[in-house]
Amino acid sequence: MKYIKVTVIFLIFIVILHFTTKLLSPKYMTDLVEGSFTREYYEEEKNHEVIFIGDCEVYANFSPMILYEEEGITSYVRGNSQQLIWQSYGLLKETLKYETPKIVVFNVNAMRYDKPVSEAYNRLMLDQMKWSKEKIEIIKASMLEEEDFLSYLFPILRYHSRFSTLTEEDFKYLFKKKKITHNGFLINKNVKPVKNLPTKKRLPNYEFKENTYEYLDKIVDLCKENNIKLILIKAPSLYPYWYEEYDKQIEEYAEKHNLDYYNFTSQIDQIGLDFQKDTYDGGLHLNLSGATKLSKYFSKILKENYSLTDYRENKEISQIYNQKLKEYYKAIKEE
Amino acid sequence: MKKKIVYFTILITLFGTILTGCSDKEVKQNNNTEKNQEQVFSLTYDHMNIELGSEFKVEKYGKENSYSEIESCAFEGLDKTYTYDHYEIYTYPENEKDYILSIYFLDEEIETTEGIKISDTYEDMTKTYGEDFKKEDNLYTYTKGKTNLKFIIENDFITSIEYTYDV
Repeated sequence: MKYIKVTVIFLIFIVILHFTTKLLSPKYMTDLVEGSFTREYYEEEKNHEVIFIGDCEVYANFSPMILYEEEGITSYVRGNSQQLIWQSYGLLKETLKYETPKIVVFNVNAMRYDKPVSEAYNRLMLDQMKWSKEKIEIIKASMLEEEDFLSYLFPILRYHSRFSTLTEEDFKYLFKKKKITHNGFLINKNVKPVKNLPTKKRLPNYEFKENTYEYLDKIVDLCKENNIKLILIKAPSLYPYWYEEYDKQIEEYAEKHNLDYYNFTSQIDQIGLDFQKDTYDGGLHLNLSGATKLSKYFSKILKENYSLTDYRENKEISQIYNQKLKEYYKAIKEE
Repeated sequence: MKKKIVYFTILITLFGTILTGCSDKEVKQNNNTEKNQEQVFSLTYDHMNIELGSEFKVEKYGKENSYSEIESCAFEGLDKTYTYDHYEIYTYPENEKDYILSIYFLDEEIETTEGIKISDTYEDMTKTYGEDFKKEDNLYTYTKGKTNLKFIIENDFITSIEYTYDV
């Protein structure tokens, strides 16, 4: 009897702890929506032939809806703000538990970061990730010195102070979340033309560090093991500067590993990008107009060079994607 | 009874950890206050003293030649850059104000407060600042409190100078 009583008390405590954690954790629905990207993937049909992985340069610049509309390609963007290369590797490993795409497209911008950068960005990527071996590995690789693994295991340790600042959003989206992205792509219609950019600073060393290469090797191996074609890209942006020395290293790496590499920063004219109209933040990311141009451009490259299926001819898939397209254009209209 | 004690201990530990989390933050804040009182690097140029970590005011530093602003990927606020004749001031936002994050030298017409400029040698640097630096690749960093003075040295010559502030 005593045993039952204690167990019941313990279970009640667990339920309260779970509920309180859920209530106090950020919902990422109206503010910092980037925090919901990792979770949204779990709710998707897993039927993608192309998976994009990388940082903000993928979720802002490549629209899977355009890839489908143009060439019938099914794709998903698994990207997060400031997603570091070990985080991309972890997310790719997790993705392969659900599906095996024909192509993985990796944006190499993260090669410039060999150390964890910010706790806040770690949280955006990890807070809503499902618990798995991969999540634990990502947390361990991403934590800053002052961070504590326990606060990821028990987010209440991190968010307890939100108690006094809870908003309507915290209650409204406590159990059910709304959809933020379109297959991982975030619509942004704003226009902020490029005016001035800071000086291109001299760097002490332009060589990518050993640990970033280690993770790039791991991504290459993982794709090989799963018979996936890996494509390296550098999304077009004017800042932060993508140094020639960076580009050369990626070109050499791609050649050595027999990979295709597309540096879209050097193809701005061919894509038709106009950084007076096609960027929402003065040259860092493309807006909807820019992303549409780039996605059309890339969809042709994918179609012409890789044997991908035109799913517009598949009744079942096209039904799903036609519905997605309707939602996509509705969201564009409403944004 | 034993199990009851175990459950009770787990509960206490969990809440204890939560409280520890709070008190840890308080300790860190106190340390920061102490650090703020330490000696720091600042740039004196053209009869102006530019203090790292202090609020940036155009009226104090004058009208810039050009200005650029960079948004972060997800968070609000802009990192701003004010370009003057011989240097750039980078700021970071906090509580709707802008604070000086770094000062980057653009040419050899400007010297550090202690008289070192781009094109000087490694020896000039160590004579002036000593050898208590942190070296990473070609980057030599001197630190005072939350401020740093960074030199890039190539073939024995200084090719870049930057003051930075640890936010």
